[in-house]
Amino acid sequence: MSSILVKNEARLGLKLVAPAVGIIGLLVIYPILFNVYLSFFDVQLNGSKTFVGLDNYTDLLGNPRYYHSIGVSVIYLIGTVVGTTVLGLAASILMNQEFRFRNLARGLILLPYFAPVISVVFGWQFIFDPVNGIYNHVVVDVLHLTDTRENLIGNPDSALFVVILFDIWKHFPIAYLLFLAKLQSVPKDLYEAAAIDGQNAWGRFWHVTLPELRFVIATVVLLRIIWNLNRFEDVYLLAPNVETLPIFTYYQAFAGIVDQGGAAAISVIQLLVLVGLIWLYVRKVLKW
Amino acid sequence: MSSVILRNVNKSYGNLPIVKNLNLEVKDGEFVVLVGPSGCGKSTTLRMVAGLEDITQGDIQIGQRAINDLPPHKRNIAMVFQNYALYPHMSVRENIVFGLKKSGADAETIKQKLADVSEMLKLDDYLDRKPADLSGGQRQRVAMGRALARDADVYLFDEPLSNLDAKLRHHMRSEIARIQHQYNMTAIYVTHDQIEAMTLGDRVVVMRDGIVEQVGTPMDIYLQPTNTFVATFIGSPAMNLFEATIDGDDLVFDQYRIPASKIANVDLHDLGSHDTVLVGIRPDFFEDSALSSPSDNLFEFNDIQVDLVENLGFDKEIMFKLGGEDAKARLDLRSHVKRQEHISLSVDLNRVLLFDTSPQGMLINAGEV
Repeated sequence: MSSILVKNEARLGLKLVAPAVGIIGLLVIYPILFNVYLSFFDVQLNGSKTFVGLDNYTDLLGNPRYYHSIGVSVIYLIGTVVGTTVLGLAASILMNQEFRFRNLARGLILLPYFAPVISVVFGWQFIFDPVNGIYNHVVVDVLHLTDTRENLIGNPDSALFVVILFDIWKHFPIAYLLFLAKLQSVPKDLYEAAAIDGQNAWGRFWHVTLPELRFVIATVVLLRIIWNLNRFEDVYLLAPNVETLPIFTYYQAFAGIVDQGGAAAISVIQLLVLVGLIWLYVRKVLKW
Repeated sequence: MSSVILRNVNKSYGNLPIVKNLNLEVKDGEFVVLVGPSGCGKSTTLRMVAGLEDITQGDIQIGQRAINDLPPHKRNIAMVFQNYALYPHMSVRENIVFGLKKSGADAETIKQKLADVSEMLKLDDYLDRKPADLSGGQRQRVAMGRALARDADVYLFDEPLSNLDAKLRHHMRSEIARIQHQYNMTAIYVTHDQIEAMTLGDRVVVMRDGIVEQVGTPMDIYLQPTNTFVATFIGSPAMNLFEATIDGDDLVFDQYRIPASKIANVDLHDLGSHDTVLVGIRPDFFEDSALSSPSDNLFEFNDIQVDLVENLGFDKEIMFKLGGEDAKARLDLRSHVKRQEHISLSVDLNRVLLFDTSPQGMLINAGEV
């Protein structure tokens, strides 16, 4: 009796997930497989393909621009992941205190996350505009920190840090939101017990807050790594001269000398690295 | 160990007073139990000693130290919480030694204390487990262990047994009593359970609405409650109270005339200023007249109709009407009364208490201790 029920239930389950599996297969698995396939061909814009074996990969691994973009991506990833996590944590702890207008402040913090990328990008470009921007006005004319006006976004080296700052500002609210939700569920008596056990505010943060937040922090870091390794629009719109991996891939595939086979090879490597990273992370840090 | 002194302590939230002018001295090595109904301010008082609530007015002193302005982590206290508040990411071992480590004890002391505590509380087999893998009783023992491992000046207990089942509660109650005596701990223990209060306390503090109603040994409070609140709150079943009119030297209700002169420590002149008094008789002090040996001081309530008999094994509780009120008596197993029977109940007049009919219902006679 019960085994029949179990079987029926399993069959129903399969039927229920089938549409989702179909859609994922069509929209995710098929492009991935096709991408792997493409990476072994020299692809022309008219669609004609010539099999080139591993040539795309060897070309890529001999291309200094590729290594440069890996370096940029690593800096971008570390800066944004650390930045959003730390800022999100600080904001969530602050917003977990009692004060007047707390609910208003809690809501306002989310604004950067809601704002459309394209509009805030223009705002940021204007802030750092070398002639009219408020940044140069404050640094040069008001504070007299330096004599020369800098084009921070025009210079790829400094633009990388503007892009990192922008991403932190735009995306820390999601980290903040997840941390705050968890903070509100930490039992108050744990803090009281830690205080009784001789821990001051710092000790209570270290021994109660951080361990309680551990899995949320790990999840936020994981999500941020996945999102930002593939992040395109924020970087491209704000400073197209910052060549992170997705931007480099885009230039390979669609700009100048179009090399779609080469671009496919980049994304195959990126996919493998990402899958490997996530696997390690999930096993070692999240311990699922 | 240290004494704890609370002097004119007040606590209010905004305009709402929670604890009103509380004075209490807990002596070095003494076990004091704060007991009272929910909202009486007992937990708040404990939390003020711990430093988890600030003191609106008054002083608290541990040993020679005034601690009003000290944060909890500088007070050198240990506390057992109602919900245990174990650190979920730490093993039982780490939980127990956490406070000890912070206090700067050396490795040898920590090892020794851990061994002592885990043996005493039978936690040896669980030291590597996380709190989530323990039963409620085991968690409670870990919470106890964490407090006991500390070399604190005073140990605070905030209803530590209220989440346990009856059997385990009884067991842990005895354990706490044993450990407290063994270590000669200064302890303040909050409970709403009057049995815990009676069995654990060297002294019991009965509180109501932020006010201390009575402080005394358990037997003082049982035999000489200062007012009707304490009289009915402590003791189970609660003390029976009957309103009686004073007629000469007799207290009259229903068809009964109790000679006031035979009640212990009654000043007849004093009684003359009242028209009516409340007669308080504990259910435990009734006896089945068929079984009581005749005595000079025995008063007999005859023609009592038994409404209900509840057999508890050795004891049985019977319910009946007296003075127009529902009354209870606790008889032992020798009595064979049945429902609807008419019986006589005797009471030793030395055990009868009189209260005035003011709202406070203050005790009039001193009672026999």
